[in-house]
Amino acid sequence: MISGRCAACKYLRRRCPSDCIFSLYFPPNDPQRFACVHRIYGASNVGKMLQQLPPPLRAQAADTLYFEARCRIEDPVYGCVGIISQLHEQVQSAESELAKAQAEIAFLNCNPQEAPAPIEANSNFNNLLPEQYLCPPSAQNSWF
Amino acid sequence: MGGNSPCASCKLLRRRCAKDCIFSPYFPSDDPHKFAIVHKVFGASNVSKMLQELPVHQRADAVSSLVYEANARVRDPVYGCVGAISYLQNQVSQLQMQLAVAQAEILCIQMQQEPAMPTTQMDPDDKSYFHHDSLPQYLNFASSSNVIHDSLKRESIFGQDMVS
Repeated sequence: MISGRCAACKYLRRRCPSDCIFSLYFPPNDPQRFACVHRIYGASNVGKMLQQLPPPLRAQAADTLYFEARCRIEDPVYGCVGIISQLHEQVQSAESELAKAQAEIAFLNCNPQEAPAPIEANSNFNNLLPEQYLCPPSAQNSWF
Repeated sequence: MGGNSPCASCKLLRRRCAKDCIFSPYFPSDDPHKFAIVHKVFGASNVSKMLQELPVHQRADAVSSLVYEANARVRDPVYGCVGAISYLQNQVSQLQMQLAVAQAEILCIQMQQEPAMPTTQMDPDDKSYFHHDSLPQYLNFASSSNVIHDSLKRESIFGQDMVS
């Protein structure tokens, strides 16, 4: 029945069988979702990946495939690896700041008479993960 | 590399390796696994299209990131790279909380050491100025920790052998 086709079968212009592997995860009301994964992985590869998973895990796999495909379309060079790179840098930066703060605590506890200038209570790590991670980064030289 | 030795891609695809083969600079014949894993996840045709759409000077980086993603997906067929992203987000979040606690402690110590300053009752356990609620969560995926610890090394992600 043509009106009941999933987004994948509509995109592929084929009949949507009752056991279509895509139908549960690519509903007809979101054609962009399948278009993204098809563009990066191809329908055959997506179908194979889903088939190889137990049914309870397929929805999550479809979601992550869509996320990665979207990242790759937005950043054709680095894809979601660009996000991982920036997160790594933030972890390193946060660890460094934490180490400094802990060293200062140790110093203050050992030297109670020499209090340094007050430190701002606000963390400078607010908004560590701004929305621009979904946009192509300007340069990713740290790993290459 | 249109000489005697076909590149890894053309070997796997069992075709003649042309002089202008788009894969040959990035998939040398001495590393067949690299192309095999990218082909398994993305497909040779899709990889070729992606590379053709990029300027030449960006293709090596693109291949490296595709190999990384493919390895992550093979290691974790459900979450792939998203597991790593989720894990790192949690790490950043935890570090931010720890930093806020440490900064609060510094403030407490300083206030205790300078009794002349206008004092406000500060409860060291008061977490009201922790602003981690402003941390955007653009992912709601549960992390897949069995992959993350093996795959995330600071020195070189792309040098890391993702597949054991």
